Amino acid sequence: MADEVVTPVGTQAPRGRMLVDQRGLSPRAHGGANRPGAVAVLSLLRGAYTFVQRFFPQILLIGTAVAILLVYTTGGLTLMGEQIRNALVLGAIYALVAIGYTMVYGIIELINFAHGDVFTLAGFYALFFTTAFASALGGLATGHGGLGLVVALIIVFALTMTAAGLTGVLIEFVAYRRLRDAPRLAPLITAIGVSFLLEGVMLVKYGPDNIPTQDSGWITGHAFTLGSVVVEWKQVFIVVIAIVLMFSLGAFVRATRLGKAMRATAQDRNAALLCGININRTISATFFIGSALAAAGAIVYSINYNLIQWNLGYRLGIIAFTAAVLGGIGNIVGAGVGGFLIGIIYVFGGQLAGGQWSESLIFAILVIILTFRPVGLFGVDVTTRA
Amino acid sequence: MPRLDIAARLRNPSGATAKSPDSGTGTFWILSLGSALLLIMGWLLPWSVEPFSAGIGFSPQDVVTSSPSGVAAFLVYVLGITMLALLASPVAELVARIRKRPLPVRWDRIRLMIALGGLALTVVVWLLFRVVQEEPVFGPVDAHTISDSAIWLTMIGYILAAVAHGARDWVISHPNTAFAAVALPFAALIPLIFHQAPDFVFWAASSLAIYTLLALGLNVVVGFAGLLDLGYAAFFAIGAYTCAALSSPKYNVHLPLWVLIFIGAAVASMFGAVLGAPTLRLRGDYLAIVTLGFGEIIPDLAINNVGNLTNGPDGISSIDQPHFLFFNFSTTPAWYYVALLIVVVAVIILLRNLEHSRVGRAWIAIREDEVAAAATGINTTSTKLLAFAIGASVAGLAGAFYGSIVGIVSPEAFSFSVSVAVLSIVVLGGIGNITGVILGSFVLTFVIFWVLQYLHEWSATLSHTLNVPALGNVDYSKYTYIVYGVALIGMMLLRPGGLLPSRARRIELQSGGEEESLAAVQGRA
Repeated sequence: MADEVVTPVGTQAPRGRMLVDQRGLSPRAHGGANRPGAVAVLSLLRGAYTFVQRFFPQILLIGTAVAILLVYTTGGLTLMGEQIRNALVLGAIYALVAIGYTMVYGIIELINFAHGDVFTLAGFYALFFTTAFASALGGLATGHGGLGLVVALIIVFALTMTAAGLTGVLIEFVAYRRLRDAPRLAPLITAIGVSFLLEGVMLVKYGPDNIPTQDSGWITGHAFTLGSVVVEWKQVFIVVIAIVLMFSLGAFVRATRLGKAMRATAQDRNAALLCGININRTISATFFIGSALAAAGAIVYSINYNLIQWNLGYRLGIIAFTAAVLGGIGNIVGAGVGGFLIGIIYVFGGQLAGGQWSESLIFAILVIILTFRPVGLFGVDVTTRA
Repeated sequence: MPRLDIAARLRNPSGATAKSPDSGTGTFWILSLGSALLLIMGWLLPWSVEPFSAGIGFSPQDVVTSSPSGVAAFLVYVLGITMLALLASPVAELVARIRKRPLPVRWDRIRLMIALGGLALTVVVWLLFRVVQEEPVFGPVDAHTISDSAIWLTMIGYILAAVAHGARDWVISHPNTAFAAVALPFAALIPLIFHQAPDFVFWAASSLAIYTLLALGLNVVVGFAGLLDLGYAAFFAIGAYTCAALSSPKYNVHLPLWVLIFIGAAVASMFGAVLGAPTLRLRGDYLAIVTLGFGEIIPDLAINNVGNLTNGPDGISSIDQPHFLFFNFSTTPAWYYVALLIVVVAVIILLRNLEHSRVGRAWIAIREDEVAAAATGINTTSTKLLAFAIGASVAGLAGAFYGSIVGIVSPEAFSFSVSVAVLSIVVLGGIGNITGVILGSFVLTFVIFWVLQYLHEWSATLSHTLNVPALGNVDYSKYTYIVYGVALIGMMLLRPGGLLPSRARRIELQSGGEEESLAAVQGRA
């Protein structure tokens, strides 16, 4: 398998590297391998498996390009442009959420199932802050021109991201910390429990219906027109803020002491501990940053779509997780790229097959990528993980 | 199970305390707490039907006190005292446990006497009530139907207490037998006890029995083989849709139910093998997410009405309800319950045998250490596939019954929350322990589908009597998700083995953290 990292004899591979267990591929593992027909079928299956595993990135990228071209040929340039615009907006949100999944998995190898619900919760935090200070913030955002809007946005982002970050830290402290050395499935089950607890609390508090958000009217107007595709300011804002946040996160992880501690903890927790790194604080910081970025995603979601619902984060979380896996889980840059790619696949797949199939398509990609190429598109390298 | 004995001996070479005095007390606790719960229910049950008629407590005891006349008043006071004594019993046990000082043996004998006395008194009340119909002694017997159920519950509560305290040693040394000896008669009696409350029997059939089946099936995958399946509802859906299509006007095919359950099980197990095959190479948490993906895709396919098979969001409706000889399932939901009870018992026997067979040992070996299992010659791929297929087939069986009971099969009945509900049952009861799973399904379905549904009536009564209007209008069924979440988190953090841990888990937990951390280093899933 070309992309599998072969561990030299005598070195201990870090846990989590053996993403695909190759044992079952040996012909002896299958009963009936001594019959010629079975051997032929098996070798065919194995060939297909290897093919998909090796060329998955190419298949996926070519498929996406073909989908875009198909939309162009059937719907024309305007439709394609509008859909690319929509895909970028959606992809920015997915990317922001995916980073939280990828960082947490990178550092403690936990699929933080509750992350999608932290996203929803952050949306409700934003709703709470914009409602509580409705007159002050709303007046600031709409009445005082550009500067007032910037100040109001900074206030909302700071408050919501802090609150969501603290929620993430609290969740880690209460639910995951004690299970850090338990068998791998124990914290995953707890994470599902946290997810349901959060959804339940939001359901009891806000009811089962869509809730309109307060900040949707803040950013108005058309930024520019490309051909006949109208791009609004809020769409520009969303994509720009996602990219800015991702790059600052990248710089943070690469350049600061805490970022270095995160990378060290991700590589080998015990060795990091021996080097004097405060593991608990580092992991808490990871949860804080991941949840805060999800909160940023929730704010831009509420600005763009105007509605929020108690179980919004469940499916959005799975889609964002798909993006994280697509980019190679543990890889921050990969999560960003994966988010935008998933946005494109979601929008164009839905355009071609009908909107009701978008999510099934993403789930199918999730299944396929985890089955055939769990290392992601690029084949993640340990040193780039955070 | 020789493996465990060897493991225990390795850890404890002297063999002095091969059986810790603590092992098996779980069943004793269940009996003790269960009796307390039933006694409380016997008291509270009448509230749920007549919330406002007589203020607090329209229970049989209150019926008696409403016109106290000699013998009746005496009966009521003695009953109340015995009940209070038995309610205090688990508290005393808990205090003794915390202080690490066992209660004197003669206390058990005293409590046995109290329980037997209470039982005798309840029988007397029941006789006066049902047989003699003593209007002058008991005052008005309008609500006598529900009071009858309450008396039955009280009676069973006393029996449980009598078994727990009278045969404590036997209960502790044979926990599974004791559990079966108590649970099976109780389960069989439910339609008789509640013959005037069709709601309750319907609950028992549609929720308790179906969820017990699902949890038993998931326990094969999660508990025995150690593969976390988060899309289990998909197989339930496949079984339900298959059987619905074959017994409804949709294709004008009307097969009888006892044929359908085999078809449903077969189709679901086929899908289990097909969906499981590509995923078995994956590590634990990735496998969980892949099954989650399947679990989301299958209801999506149903909603989008693929190949016009599923009727989209409306679902397949007017499914046949069996009717043969004098068993008319459509008018008497109790027959569903009886049929399901037989099926559940059959499945339990099958799974128990499977657990102790060669395959079962192979599953446990894979769960504990896959590499070592493969090295000892176990074909891990086919063994895991078998776990998936068998787990799925039980879900398909449950799906066949579900469609027939509810009469309509639609996509929203198979959402992720169903998978999580079943997982919560398994985790709550005890991963890998059939007895625990049954207990878990009883506790959780009782809380979710009975208590939460009817709590608003009790709470309305309470708000009326205590004059707290805030309690009057609360929809407790919204709290379902919170219950699942709390069950999952609380169990994993506080008691990872579940209410009744399996024997292997118990030994692991008693031997301290060493084994666990070793497993974590090996990345065991």
